[in-house]
Amino acid sequence: MSRVTESALIREETSTLEAIAGVAIGLCALLFALAMAALFEVVTVTDSVAGLPMSNVLGGLLAVVGVVVVGFGAASYRGLVPTEPRASAGAVAATAFSAIWFVVGGLVASQTLGVGLAGGLLGGGLLGGIAFAVTAIPREDVGSTLPAGALALLAGGALLTGVIGPGWSWTPFDLNATFFPPIVVPAVVMFCSLLGGWAAAKAYGGFGARGRHLGAYLLVYLNALAIVAVLVGLVAFVVFKGAPGVFEGVTVAAGAGPSTTVSAFGFSHTVVWPVSWPFLTNGAALMNDVDGVLPAIVGTVWLVVGSVLFAVPLGVGAAVFLSEYAEQGRFTQVVEIATNGLWSTPSIVFGLFGYAFLLPRFGGEKSLLSGMLTLGFMLLPLVVITSREAMLSVPDEYRDASAALGVSKWQTIRSVVLPAALPGVVTGVILGVGRIAGETAPILLTMAGGTFVPGSQTVDVIGGFQFTASPPFVANPALLEATSALPYQVYALVTAGVGGSQLNDPEAFAWGTTLVLLAVVLSFYAVGIVTRYYFRRKLHQ
Amino acid sequence: MSETKSTIQTESNPDRPVSTTTGETEEEVRSEWREYAFDGEPKLSVENLDVYYGDDHALRDVSIDIPEESVTALIGPSGCGKSTFLRCLNRMNDRIKSARVDGSVEVDGEEIYQDGTNLVELRKRVGMVFQNPNPFPKSIRDNVSYGPRKHGDIDTGVLAGLLGRSNEEREAELVERSLKQAALWDEVDDRLDDNAMGLSGGQQQRLCIARCLAVDPEVILMDEPASALDPIATAKIEDLIDELAQEYTVVIVTHNMQQAARISDQTAVFLTGGNLVEYGETDQVFENPESQRVEDYITGKFG
Repeated sequence: MSRVTESALIREETSTLEAIAGVAIGLCALLFALAMAALFEVVTVTDSVAGLPMSNVLGGLLAVVGVVVVGFGAASYRGLVPTEPRASAGAVAATAFSAIWFVVGGLVASQTLGVGLAGGLLGGGLLGGIAFAVTAIPREDVGSTLPAGALALLAGGALLTGVIGPGWSWTPFDLNATFFPPIVVPAVVMFCSLLGGWAAAKAYGGFGARGRHLGAYLLVYLNALAIVAVLVGLVAFVVFKGAPGVFEGVTVAAGAGPSTTVSAFGFSHTVVWPVSWPFLTNGAALMNDVDGVLPAIVGTVWLVVGSVLFAVPLGVGAAVFLSEYAEQGRFTQVVEIATNGLWSTPSIVFGLFGYAFLLPRFGGEKSLLSGMLTLGFMLLPLVVITSREAMLSVPDEYRDASAALGVSKWQTIRSVVLPAALPGVVTGVILGVGRIAGETAPILLTMAGGTFVPGSQTVDVIGGFQFTASPPFVANPALLEATSALPYQVYALVTAGVGGSQLNDPEAFAWGTTLVLLAVVLSFYAVGIVTRYYFRRKLHQ
Repeated sequence: MSETKSTIQTESNPDRPVSTTTGETEEEVRSEWREYAFDGEPKLSVENLDVYYGDDHALRDVSIDIPEESVTALIGPSGCGKSTFLRCLNRMNDRIKSARVDGSVEVDGEEIYQDGTNLVELRKRVGMVFQNPNPFPKSIRDNVSYGPRKHGDIDTGVLAGLLGRSNEEREAELVERSLKQAALWDEVDDRLDDNAMGLSGGQQQRLCIARCLAVDPEVILMDEPASALDPIATAKIEDLIDELAQEYTVVIVTHNMQQAARISDQTAVFLTGGNLVEYGETDQVFENPESQRVEDYITGKFG
């Protein structure tokens, strides 16, 4: 067999073998998706599909991938298919395969054959060495297909023959953990399908530069897909778990819902909403048909609004000073390190600070105001960091142009720098709100009152403002009341088991609260993203 | 503009003070100095100007008088200090922390390097156009009226509107006049509310000129205004500079010697090390330079 391989600028026809490699890639993607689905319990590994156990089906497909990949490598080596392989698959691939096979060999030797640790090391070292040699020494078409295909074949065989099957379990070494098929099978399938897919993609591209590109592309693409899948799976999980609680007792009919009375200038008009959604409009009380989370929703919304109102002006002001006025030197460096450190400070530390420092100064009781300020302190560093970055990235040309027109520094900042930096500032606030809206520890220490508050105790910040005869002339008792918040309610119910006995179905209630929390945070996100889009459009259109 | 112009006196001045840090080449350069004189008061008068960036001596003892309502070109190889010189004329060098300026610059006989100089007023009178077009990310109208608005000459805010003091008409007039002066009006008159970022490079640069004209300056400094533009846009800018010289004193830095020859009335040549080597009527400098080094530079032997 000569080293000369056919190469052409344009290769039009797709050979049968290439088509088979393409099918193998598709199989791997399918396996990867099935494994993801199995991890999220959408598909059950121990069930049967068309009379066959699911794990057998997965194993069979993996074995097919293994055979195709190895076969393609052999065909390419024999010159049956035009490819452009390099002399070796390279040191990186060789190291990776030797590490994988070391683990496989070690586990098989020590666990399945039961030869102990030394035997495991010996077996692992032997297989790892072989894998290194097989990858590095022969030409690329064999080096990159054989180790990957063999692994897929091995795993596929284990699943197909039932060595790893529905009744199987594994307690490794002396650990107190036991692995069961619902986790192990998807993990093995996912890993092997990634490797097999990589090899098949390389084969499809005819090895060489194009093959390496396709192989890397497949890995990166499947990883990105996996991230999206994790996110979607997470949200879907919460939605499915939470929906029964949230939608309990929802009725849509004329006059079904609560009534709102609007009165002005002596006239009053009453609107009766056509939707009744008790989970969102009720509190928790003995006489309720359906208990709801209204006080917690309102508490969370006011908490976020309050801390944003506190942190954004302070943070943006500090950022203006740091990026526009302060001399870039030791002082700004210290401030930068301090803000970064503050942002990484655990939230329980902030909570404790609020508990020990703020509470005694606001009447000694937990209150909405203490919660707002504590979370405001938490939000502050992120607003400073992102605003500063945004302002530093405004081109100096704008500042020069403005100065050359004889416009003062402050006016330049106000009318040129800040508008150009606004999208960045908003991004920072979005990120920060996402974090603080879900914080539990600081709320627990500074703000949270009863876990299940009746609807009548919903905090009314706007209505709480009162004028007083003595300074400061405005008072708001509502701000100084303890109130509830969504994350705290979930925590109290699920972990601490507080007050669960008064609810009909504590689990549905907890998941419902979680779903509402997710929805509240996502709506803050949506508002932020729309705002950012608006300011960005204004800058460029 | 020829009323203010006059004879050119050439005069060798070997005794001119030479900075101690300089070597032989400088003395050789200095010996070629000649004065350029004209009738009437100079608009800008620079005397013994030295600029340092940290330890770097960027401009060495430059003295030059610039007549009003004319175009003065500053040419020379990269790093010769011509942009530095330009930025001294409206104290934009103040914005560079390491920069230190010694010497005197007078605008209409008023010293601008002294305590109590009103930088806002100075930069209103001595405007600047930069190398890269740098319109603000705002509408075309807002770009042009930015300066007058910030100076309080025009107020179209909500409060002014409520108090009946809004001068939107004056703003519209000003925007139209400035854009017409900058030869941009016909291209943008139907889309004044569009973002300036959507204009082409040449249009953006003319918008920057309009923005500069809107504050009604007396002197316009231009730092290679056409170097980032294509030949057609460059030709438009050059025609515009020609027009502007009827009313304004234009000082322009350029790398392009043909451009300097085409548009300027007098030319100053800077050579490496921040020395002003030759200054005189443009024809004179290009056709019959005093200094051998200037001739070499102009004919393309170096630089």
